Amino acid sequence: MNSKTRNRIFVIAATAMMLITIGCSWNEEKKDLEYSDTPQGNFMALWKIMDERYCFFDLKKERLGVDWSEVRDRYAASISDGMSDRALFEVLCGMIGELRDGHVNLVSSYDYGRNWAWKTDYPANYSKDIRDRYLGDDYIIAGNGYYYRVLDDNIGYLVVESFGSATSSGRLNVMFNNMALCNGLIIDIRDNGGGDLRAAEFLASHFTEKTVTVGYYCYKNGPGHNDFSRLYRNELSPARYDLRWIKPVVLLTNRGCFSSANDFAFTMKSFENVTLMGDTTGGGGGMPMSSELPNGWVVRFSSAPSFDADMNHVEFGIAPDIRLDMDDDDIKAGKDTYIERARKFINDKLVNP
Amino acid sequence: MTDSSRCSDLSLSVVLAVLLTVLPVRVSGQQTVWDLPQYKETVSCTSVMAGNMIARDTYLSASRYDGWAVGFENDRWTGYRPYRLFCYGRSYSTLLFSPMNNRNGGGSTLGLGGAYHHAFLWPAISCSMCDLLIGPAVMTDFDVFYNQQNSNNPVNGSGYLAGGVSVDNTFRFRVLRYNMALQASLYLPLAGVGFAPDYDQPYYFMYKDSEYGRALHFVTPFNNKAITHQVALVLPFRGNRFRIGYSIDYYSNRLGGHSRNIGSGMLTIGCAFRYQSKEWAL
Repeated sequence: MNSKTRNRIFVIAATAMMLITIGCSWNEEKKDLEYSDTPQGNFMALWKIMDERYCFFDLKKERLGVDWSEVRDRYAASISDGMSDRALFEVLCGMIGELRDGHVNLVSSYDYGRNWAWKTDYPANYSKDIRDRYLGDDYIIAGNGYYYRVLDDNIGYLVVESFGSATSSGRLNVMFNNMALCNGLIIDIRDNGGGDLRAAEFLASHFTEKTVTVGYYCYKNGPGHNDFSRLYRNELSPARYDLRWIKPVVLLTNRGCFSSANDFAFTMKSFENVTLMGDTTGGGGGMPMSSELPNGWVVRFSSAPSFDADMNHVEFGIAPDIRLDMDDDDIKAGKDTYIERARKFINDKLVNP
Repeated sequence: MTDSSRCSDLSLSVVLAVLLTVLPVRVSGQQTVWDLPQYKETVSCTSVMAGNMIARDTYLSASRYDGWAVGFENDRWTGYRPYRLFCYGRSYSTLLFSPMNNRNGGGSTLGLGGAYHHAFLWPAISCSMCDLLIGPAVMTDFDVFYNQQNSNNPVNGSGYLAGGVSVDNTFRFRVLRYNMALQASLYLPLAGVGFAPDYDQPYYFMYKDSEYGRALHFVTPFNNKAITHQVALVLPFRGNRFRIGYSIDYYSNRLGGHSRNIGSGMLTIGCAFRYQSKEWAL
């Protein structure tokens, strides 16, 4: 065999090996195949996405009796080839609604599927009109959704309507300077539906003088219902270069506090100078992620569970230190029971520290 | 990826592989519009690219996205000392951008992809008609996607740094009185390290805990398949040499429990230059 022939054989053999590898590279695993854009395909895609990626199945089974396989079988009976988009949307929303999780949503171009029973099944314990009377007209805006003023009895009152964006160090420094002579601070996060976790952590970092373990978290690291990463300690360090508030704080919560506001509540609860007052928060202890169905609808789901410092799930909310309900007589008189009780609490603390 | 598209992709691979093997020995042709660089010489071609991109990243979405794409490509050949086994070097780099939509038109994703390959090449066959070069290569490839449907985890990236093999074939021929060259290249990573989040690991946690270790994976052709094909025609035009090509890049991985299938087909057009370079230390 001459050298030219040897070269050719070598080249052909090498290329044949590559060809085999190339062929294998497109032989994707079956589980990666997409579902079809049919009612049945979309239904199964949604069930499967949730089955592999939702993080609270065991907790929901224990607390709500939700068996995800049984849910599939029950709702599959409502799926038919000729059903309309709207009917399909209704069935799919019904299926994921079984989980009673505010972070579980189905989004189409015409609706936002949700189950907000965690909030709507409970008393509101909040009236924006009444709250606004406490803020008055001359409150100061310290960011998008951050409003404050000093009340007549020398107590600071900060409203945080949303954690959609963080306020800035500069604005907080000005706020704490303005409240430097106040006896205490009321932070009202009622009906705060959450937003950016970093915004909540940033604000909370101004109420501690030392690094505190405020909780733990993990994330899904596989498709099994119990496939979770190791637990990570969630430590919060003080905002070192900013003014920090070490006087008494009362945090007002209701069932409308969800997601980042829920995180803010259990973080603040770890601090000695903070008292939670009001109703249990709405929960939302799983950091959400999203995916898509074959028809383009977006599905959102909880993916990374959080725990408080005692390793309790926070998915069902944070219980307050002092349980309160809005008083009907107060409402008629234009008074906010929560704010009045918080003022009294801080003033009492001055007398009996 | 559907059966039909998988089938057509495979067919294309077969055609290109045949080009790599058969053309050098079957077609007669002659010399010199694209010669390999001599020692200390560099042949460089910078091209603009336009084509389309397809991507499916199950970390972000179970849906497949596609759309037009534009980018740049730089292909640089260098001649090392002639007595070395691997006496040629080839650096191939690309940068791509693509705005993509899902098939329902209900969502959009911005994709940014890049690659850098450097191969050390041994001339398995080198004659007036063709040059077939084979050798080890170092390759890196990354893709970042921003899914605008996805409010909570909109961005994901994946990539790898790996060693592999490269095959380059240049076939010279003549049409009428014009000398031309046809080039076909193939890069295949074999082993290295890849980056992809650990299943549903949020980037915020990764950053907060500096937990990047779990996002690094050992990659082999079983969990990280990447192939770059390139076919190019070199044409002389008024003293310059233009290169028109078609470049196909496929990257498919299953790292951290999620899969990614990314492909692009790009038409490239650029100008080739030959110049003396400084002596390489290699």
